[in-house]
Amino acid sequence: MNDALNYVNTEGLKFFGKVNASISHELKNILAIISETAGFLNDLTELAKQGKELKLSLLENCSTSIVEEIQRGFTTIKQMNRFSHSVDVPVTDIDLVETLDLMAGLSGFLSSAANVSIENKCTESKTIRTCPFLLQNFIYQILCFVYESTGPTGEIRIHLLEEKEKGVLLTLFSSAQMSVEKFPDEKMKKTAGILGIEFKTNHSFYEINLLIPYAVETITQLDPNG
Amino acid sequence: MKILLVDDEQKFINMLAKRLALRGIEAHVAYTGEDALKKAGDTVYDVAVLDIKMPGISGVQLKKELSPLHPNMQFIFVTGHGGIEKSEDGSSEKDIYLSKPLDIEFLIETIEDLTHTG
Repeated sequence: MNDALNYVNTEGLKFFGKVNASISHELKNILAIISETAGFLNDLTELAKQGKELKLSLLENCSTSIVEEIQRGFTTIKQMNRFSHSVDVPVTDIDLVETLDLMAGLSGFLSSAANVSIENKCTESKTIRTCPFLLQNFIYQILCFVYESTGPTGEIRIHLLEEKEKGVLLTLFSSAQMSVEKFPDEKMKKTAGILGIEFKTNHSFYEINLLIPYAVETITQLDPNG
Repeated sequence: MKILLVDDEQKFINMLAKRLALRGIEAHVAYTGEDALKKAGDTVYDVAVLDIKMPGISGVQLKKELSPLHPNMQFIFVTGHGGIEKSEDGSSEKDIYLSKPLDIEFLIETIEDLTHTG
């Protein structure tokens, strides 16, 4: 129990730092575009003062670009906010699709990130009782592992399928051959152990199968309120 | 003077290239390291402004590949990250790093210093 809690804390801090660094990188890129666009508008203004003709299409393009980047910034901040609140409670009920979507978005800031799509084949929305922050950490680790093979031009498809009484079967299909001899590594095994996640043995060079349980004892023990 | 701007943030370098052009500097853009190598194969650039973190070939790796081809080419690294771990990325202490968002006048001063055209 203490071992699990220590692991969640130490690995969690590293994960939190890594994700926050990638978010700040994304926000800097957004601000850099807005800054250059505003600078270009200033340049055009100066030229207009000197009597040069000002093309309206240029102004329109600039304002469109600024609006798009502000929207990109809002999306990033929304993701950052959702991520930050995942440490509010140690154990809670979560929507797995929402968690996958958030991790696909946040890991998407990495330069190695591939395109990720999620297909939910569960008949109804299934909640998972888990440690949301640790599950995010685990999914992020798995996505980063697959990105190593796919690179930024590759694709990952994630399927969710209900396994009655047990949990949700998560299958990740990679567009590129993965180094399965490295999978799962010790960190993944440890995280999966605490979360009660089972690595299905039928993973292959192009496919990873994980069974996410609806709830497990090791997780509920992390909740001081029982 | 010819400048090569390399960054996967396309809007950023397109806008930067336009602003440099207004100041009389010819800047070409490449969105990937591979594209940059192709462009540098066709054109001799005085300075390459490279984003450090890019999908595929990183800015540091790109410098390693461009330097032997163009020994006189000067390099400026641009980063969206707060800090640079020089020992890990293999770049030299002499390399110049600028942080996003850029100050265009400072960028031009840096380019002029590197090319002794200021």
